[in-house]
Amino acid sequence: MARKATATADTAPRTIRELRMEHDGRRKRTAKHDTNVLRDGLRLDRVPDPHVMVLFGATGDLSHRKVFPALAQLWRSNLLPQDWMLVAVGRRPYEDETFRGEIGKSLEQFSRVPLDTEVAAQFLSRIVYHQGDFVDYGTFDRLAIRLDAIDAEHGTRGHRLFYLATQASAFPLIVAQLGRTGLDHEMSGGGWRRIIIEKPFGRDLDSAKRLNREVGRVFREAQVYRIDHYLGKETVRNLMVFRFGNGIFEPLWNRRYVDHVQITMAESIGVEERGSFYEETGATRDVVQNHLLQLLSLVAMEPPTTFEADALRDEKVKVLRAIPALSPAEISRDVVRGQYGPGWVAAEAVKGYRAEHEVDPDSETETFLAARLQIDDWRWSGVPFYLRAGKRLPKRATEIAIQFKGVPHRLFQDAAVDPEPNLLAIRIQPDEGILLRFGSKVPGLGLDIRTVTMDFTYGSAFAVDSPDAYETLLLDAMLGDASLFTRADEVEAAWSIATPIVESWVNDPEPKLPNYAAGTWGPEAADDLIERDGRRWRRI
Amino acid sequence: MGVAGGGSERGLMDAPALNAPGIVGQPALRWSSRTDSLAGIEAELARIWRSAPLTTEGVDGMPERRIAARTSVLNLVVIARQPELGERAAAVIRMLAGRHPSRTLIVSSADPDGPSWLDAHIQAHCILPRENAPETCAEFINLIAGGETGQHVAAIVAPLLVHDLPVTLWWPGDPPLISRQALDLLEMADRLVVDGSSWSGDGVDRLRALAALVDDRDLAGGTLAVSDFALLRQSRWREAIASCFDRPDLLPFLRGITSVAVTYAAHRGAGAGGTNIIKPLYHVAWLASRLEMTVVRPLVADSAEEHDGVAGLGPALIGSLRAGRRQVDARLQPVASELPSGTTLTVEITAHRHHQALGIIVSAEAESVIVRSSLDSQTLPERRFMAPRRADVDLLAETIESVGRDPIAVAALRTAARLVGGQ
Repeated sequence: MARKATATADTAPRTIRELRMEHDGRRKRTAKHDTNVLRDGLRLDRVPDPHVMVLFGATGDLSHRKVFPALAQLWRSNLLPQDWMLVAVGRRPYEDETFRGEIGKSLEQFSRVPLDTEVAAQFLSRIVYHQGDFVDYGTFDRLAIRLDAIDAEHGTRGHRLFYLATQASAFPLIVAQLGRTGLDHEMSGGGWRRIIIEKPFGRDLDSAKRLNREVGRVFREAQVYRIDHYLGKETVRNLMVFRFGNGIFEPLWNRRYVDHVQITMAESIGVEERGSFYEETGATRDVVQNHLLQLLSLVAMEPPTTFEADALRDEKVKVLRAIPALSPAEISRDVVRGQYGPGWVAAEAVKGYRAEHEVDPDSETETFLAARLQIDDWRWSGVPFYLRAGKRLPKRATEIAIQFKGVPHRLFQDAAVDPEPNLLAIRIQPDEGILLRFGSKVPGLGLDIRTVTMDFTYGSAFAVDSPDAYETLLLDAMLGDASLFTRADEVEAAWSIATPIVESWVNDPEPKLPNYAAGTWGPEAADDLIERDGRRWRRI
Repeated sequence: MGVAGGGSERGLMDAPALNAPGIVGQPALRWSSRTDSLAGIEAELARIWRSAPLTTEGVDGMPERRIAARTSVLNLVVIARQPELGERAAAVIRMLAGRHPSRTLIVSSADPDGPSWLDAHIQAHCILPRENAPETCAEFINLIAGGETGQHVAAIVAPLLVHDLPVTLWWPGDPPLISRQALDLLEMADRLVVDGSSWSGDGVDRLRALAALVDDRDLAGGTLAVSDFALLRQSRWREAIASCFDRPDLLPFLRGITSVAVTYAAHRGAGAGGTNIIKPLYHVAWLASRLEMTVVRPLVADSAEEHDGVAGLGPALIGSLRAGRRQVDARLQPVASELPSGTTLTVEITAHRHHQALGIIVSAEAESVIVRSSLDSQTLPERRFMAPRRADVDLLAETIESVGRDPIAVAALRTAARLVGGQ
């Protein structure tokens, strides 16, 4: 995020004497000597250093659908250095040309903006294929030699960006192999080494800690970039601009004015072809532990002192640590799990979760979760945060709703109904936008009040395609900006919240599953969860 | 409100294309009408939005899509001194319809000695940002003013601006920056957009006038933002030059620069003052302003060279700057080239520190900017930056996206004016 060059370097004199001399005109202000002032104000996105990207899992679905199309868009936009190469590592046997052909097909299918033939050919010419098994020492020994050869031939100067787009089970092995071959070592005369790790970052607190330890044995934390692609989404990034770039909301953003917060992440699709994956994951691990808690921390965090990676992540971690781990009794009271049965979604009959491909017919995996969390800090004490996420809900929608408190005194006694409290809804997807609800007088002689909305949609003010989250994140990693990546302590703090929940279910008799029909807003217990507090889920 | 000759509306054009379904990302014409008075324009604008929901026809002839909303984020006023310039500007702006919906006024003058008349073409262009999204529409008014009316453009523009929205004034070609007409228009504007590299002659008189505008307290409260496409086009060059000093061991050389020389394309026979030097001038000015150099001796013809006589390219210009106690030589050197006149060919920087010399040559090849450098006799790794020529549409979009005035551009402009003898 620090891609745009920062404001003019601090050129102020430092001592009182210097200040006085400048005041007297005896000392000319000189620019600071340890910053490159020529970078000030460059509006174009900065181009990363020449480097080689090494993509593990290059033949996988994620690479074809997301990583290569994102890289191709960066190439198309001239945001990759000309001295850039990609080594695609995979187990399957490919020649460079055949592999490029496969990627070319994926680009045609998945590119956000179609690529010119010439641009696509230039991009593909930068890709070489390296076959090998991750358990094989030879794979990495040959890789090290090949990378040196690429440096010599293409001027990539020893800079390396490793990207683990493999199954999570392969992460420790690859990291260890990189360590064994010394590919993690940063050289004194330049030559940075960074590693991008895809989620999941463990499947509970213990495994997350173990993974962090294993990665930490080889790479320093500053070299590690854990991708949660949700953080690269334009509207999620805009959440920070909305909160901290506007003066009028922040004074209201606390327990004094906010009644409660609802965060919803609804999907209308089922598990599709990912049945076996989802069986082991469930909604809590798939989206709540990462995406939903990320949104929560962005909504609830204190303003960071600077817009730099660690300042930002420090504040997010503080929020997560202020959420107390729930006891088993609290989990049975404040957390609801659900699983969809057959039903109708968008005029189409769909099967229940247990009838999905590769799903156990007696599965107890949750496809829905609703929870009530508290943040025990000065700003939010006593303000409940209601979270819900699920599959096969009536529509796809991700939204954060800030429900403000009502007016303290009922002034309009004659009105048929009291004015509804104000609400601010931030829609993440689809139809990204911001909605503010307030009361207005109905025209006429009486004094009826009706709720109206001011609805801002990004599409109407900026009818331009936003970059894909992967484009943003890959470029940031190449530039060494970790603001939008998850830090080790952040991952562990999020697991500290999610792990007790999933563990308690092992000992807890399941609710009768499935407990909601596809195409509905989840089990009744989810409604009870919020209604017993005298509130309701927002109708989205 | 009406102007001479105004009055009769010519009505709504009824072309079938107006109802065609939109294609994602492609601006579509949804309304088109003509009138010959200011009152007529205002009436037409009101009619456009009163007639909502504007719809497109579905396959079965039933209305299919409702136009979402009129959206405006700014007033964009284009002063095209000839209708042809207006046409070119219109083509650029139409491509921005979705990205930056604005109320656009393109004003051209014609037949200055004839009777007064006004011909206005009012259109609504809409764009479908993506499937299943409502269309986003913006208004587009193309005005040609004849006779004396054409001499009072500010009076035509003022009532047609959407209030409370910023006003960007794009003045392609050779704007008469010190004329009364220009000042009247600039008083309404928050931002002036020009292309210094398209000015006639060497362009330095206009550059001095432009620099004076940014300090004019009567314009936008003394904060008129100025965007010059000539400077914007150099952003990749600046990125390339800045990258030379990213290496910690080379950064100290930034404070040891002793000369900056820029070569630029000139055509034989152009002679003194015949080649636009705005782009090469901006290179020196940007570097000097970033490094807080002061102009000691403005650029003058190098008497030691006889280019004028030999190749008719015009003379090299030399001047000097000062950074602290160090003198920095500046040189703009014309070179015979097939490239468009005034195009930068190379930027050469020399810097010294502790008896070491750093030499940097930044040059353009095809669509790349290439940086070659050496430290004493040691050649440093070459770097290439993709730098395809940026179209006016991209430059205008970047200009519109920027908010407030860019202190870096203002500093470069002021230094450029001082380099050519301005204050």
